[in-house]
Amino acid sequence: MAQPKEIFVRLDRCMGCHSCELACAVEHSQSKSLYSAISEKPTPQSRVYVEWVPPDNRLPVLCRHCEDAPCMHACICGAISRTEEGVVMTNADKCIGCWTCVMVCPYGVIGRHLQEHKAYRCDRCPDLEIPACVNSCPTKALVYRTVDEFSKDVRRVASREMLSGEGG
Amino acid sequence: MANNERRYVIIGASAAGMAAAEAIRQSDSTGFITVLSEEPVQPYFRPMIPFLISGKKSVADMTLVGQGPYSGTGIDVRLNSKAEAIDTKNQTVTVQGGDLVLYDRLLIATGSRPYIPPEIEGTEAAGVFALRTLTDALAAADCAAQADHVVMLGGGLLNLKAAFALLERGLDVTLVVYSPEVLSQLMEPDDAVLIRDALNKAGLKIMTDCSATHILSQAGGVNGVLLNSGQEMFCQMVCIGKGVFPNVNFLEQSDVQVDQGVVVDRFTACNAANVFAAGDVAVTFDPITSDRIVTGLWTNAVEMGRCAGYNMAGRTTEYTGTFGILNATQVADEPFVSMGIVHTSGTDYETHVFSTRNTYRKLVFSEDGERLVGAVFVGDISHAGLYRYVMREKMDVAKIKPFIIKHTLHYGHLLLP
Repeated sequence: MAQPKEIFVRLDRCMGCHSCELACAVEHSQSKSLYSAISEKPTPQSRVYVEWVPPDNRLPVLCRHCEDAPCMHACICGAISRTEEGVVMTNADKCIGCWTCVMVCPYGVIGRHLQEHKAYRCDRCPDLEIPACVNSCPTKALVYRTVDEFSKDVRRVASREMLSGEGG
Repeated sequence: MANNERRYVIIGASAAGMAAAEAIRQSDSTGFITVLSEEPVQPYFRPMIPFLISGKKSVADMTLVGQGPYSGTGIDVRLNSKAEAIDTKNQTVTVQGGDLVLYDRLLIATGSRPYIPPEIEGTEAAGVFALRTLTDALAAADCAAQADHVVMLGGGLLNLKAAFALLERGLDVTLVVYSPEVLSQLMEPDDAVLIRDALNKAGLKIMTDCSATHILSQAGGVNGVLLNSGQEMFCQMVCIGKGVFPNVNFLEQSDVQVDQGVVVDRFTACNAANVFAAGDVAVTFDPITSDRIVTGLWTNAVEMGRCAGYNMAGRTTEYTGTFGILNATQVADEPFVSMGIVHTSGTDYETHVFSTRNTYRKLVFSEDGERLVGAVFVGDISHAGLYRYVMREKMDVAKIKPFIIKHTLHYGHLLLP
């Protein structure tokens, strides 16, 4: 199987505009339009959370689809499974809203939909080529790459900086 | 013997047993995995059985194999196969009916069964239930169809969930609780105020500080409960939820060390060679208090079962223990999480309590204030897993303590300290 793409965060780029949250909620609405999503019931929820860390850091946090996903193993009704693409998915039909996944997620990225009494989290936008949050990010703080591509990017930037440091 | 012919035998086909089978299959694609189940039905998600009583889910909805992480193939589950004895010298399990099953690696995952207090008389009567298995739940559902009044003995989570299932069916339900408040194992009375209010509003009748002495019955089954106060309550059904204890009887003749539950080392191995134990039947430990504990929780059993499975297949994996208290759920529309050390009355733990009209939280720190050791969240349980992580890793909380106390901790605080 080809290495699946993942959503990576470039910590130095996020300026805390929350565009990703908006795009995520709209993508997970029925209408997929901001204007009607606002009044939809159940209220569309964002699965990415832009957090602020003092003194001046911003950070989008979202499901890492952990290789050893604690939520999937902890689930008491078999509602959480992994797709072939490596996405850890909550099946809302099976979810009984016991919140065990919320209790074990070390990233705090599983939300509780109170109107529906279901847990929800990032599904990497299965209908889109590029996840909505990544597509909406004006500073490219969120990128959608394979692990190999992403680490190659990081190495390239580092070597460029090293070269300029050496006066090259 | 070559690894690819290894015979893995697992006694018990619930959380620990099936999680172990899955972990073995991940690590050993060709070994033979046999799971012995004493139950007559295929493995299922046991915590869902209250939904059979309410009628919200069917037996098919609870099936385990093929759901969630349980997708491994070539796992032979033998139903109606109760293990009667094990012989650790010859490496065999005797199954009810006399069959001998040979093993190279054995997992004891027989779980636990309900504790029926011997001081209560008349518990054998028809219409008395201690909900544990799918079969119990189906029988209870049948009984509920004929009943108007139910008395539940015990104020723990299992009984609360069952009580709600019966309320949803329109029955009149009274909970008889020996402690001063419901959920006394999971929190202190002051922590449970919001939950108690929600239970009362939902129509559950709760009597605290009292217990049953007799279950009264006649030819047709249960017809009442006599309390220690002398009060007699009329009912057609009784549910006992007084905790569980490990299923270790079949080990009496073996040399496997048992002390309340099966004693295991940090790698889930028993004292006998090639024998492992996991789940409710095993004695584990609490990483915060270092106490030896037996827990009765699906999530813990899965974690320990996976660990045992890896060890059985030769992937050495240390089990890191679990909190004695680790529960999340929602009763009467009130979500709550309780974990770690939460019974703080009369102790020197640094405790921070905050309550509003519809939320409550209690954060418990070590006596020196440097470690988070316990948390209760009611109403708002968001990010609970982060707090569990901080507790479990015994993190120095100096820099994040204000966020913990205010319940505003997020992953950024841990990543960018």
